[in-house]
Amino acid sequence: MSTEVALHEEEFRAGRFLGIDHRKLGMWLFLGSEVMFFGGLLAAFLHYKVNNPSPVEHDLLDVTLVGINTFILLSSSFTVVLALDAAQHSKRQRLVAFLGLTILLGAAFLAGQGLEFSDLYHHGMTLSSSVYGSSFFTLTGFHGLHVLIGILWAGLTLRKGALGRFDDGKSAGVELFGLYWHFVDIVWIVLFTLIYLT
Amino acid sequence: MEANSKPAIGLRTFGVVYAALAIITLVEILLADSQGGVANPALTPAFLFFSLAKASLVAAFFMHLKVDSKFYTAIFLFPAVMLLIFALLATVR
Repeated sequence: MSTEVALHEEEFRAGRFLGIDHRKLGMWLFLGSEVMFFGGLLAAFLHYKVNNPSPVEHDLLDVTLVGINTFILLSSSFTVVLALDAAQHSKRQRLVAFLGLTILLGAAFLAGQGLEFSDLYHHGMTLSSSVYGSSFFTLTGFHGLHVLIGILWAGLTLRKGALGRFDDGKSAGVELFGLYWHFVDIVWIVLFTLIYLT
Repeated sequence: MEANSKPAIGLRTFGVVYAALAIITLVEILLADSQGGVANPALTPAFLFFSLAKASLVAAFFMHLKVDSKFYTAIFLFPAVMLLIFALLATVR
């Protein structure tokens, strides 16, 4: 086996062939499929919103509360970036602290969403009250579910970090979690505009 | 992954991006509040621009697409472009 072929094999096994890491590639392909998933739900929501306008229900939406929630989620993306930096520099305490903060911010976002849902239900807008309500709760509910999954994933990553699994600078686990979390953030940025602001 | 995932973007840049995201969000809330909570179609292009700007900032900097392999960007954008094409086709009667 020539040196070139051996090098090629080594790079391939290491998952760095052509600069593409297999795990990251898998995550990006997953995120691509998630774009289609949320795209379908969003298309359904916009279709119903345009063809069955419900200004009364739209006026029930609390832009200020949801705006604060948006800021909370954006802040959690920043703490994930700081956690990744800590992992890459083998700073265990910082990693655990920032992942813990991420979990708290994610939980705060879900609490805000719970408040919003509770208020809307109190005013008669429910999952079955209208087409607008159905598509609204389906879309935002699935996003909330993604945040919940992200919180659980952050908890697992935090545990690994606390046990020192990232102490040698191997930050792949944090980076993959981060990609998922940032994607959930991007989805919310789009939903905030298309549902609440327009 | 570690060999090619070291950030080429500094913490200061991340801080600036976060500040920009926060300011844009604040402007959005103030603009929406100035309309008394009622959607104003005249502001829709501005809100769409803000949304696109925020999503691009998160993807480019926080998700490292600015410095990572362009292949990842293509994988991420391809379904989004397909969605736009389908949406445009759906408007053709």
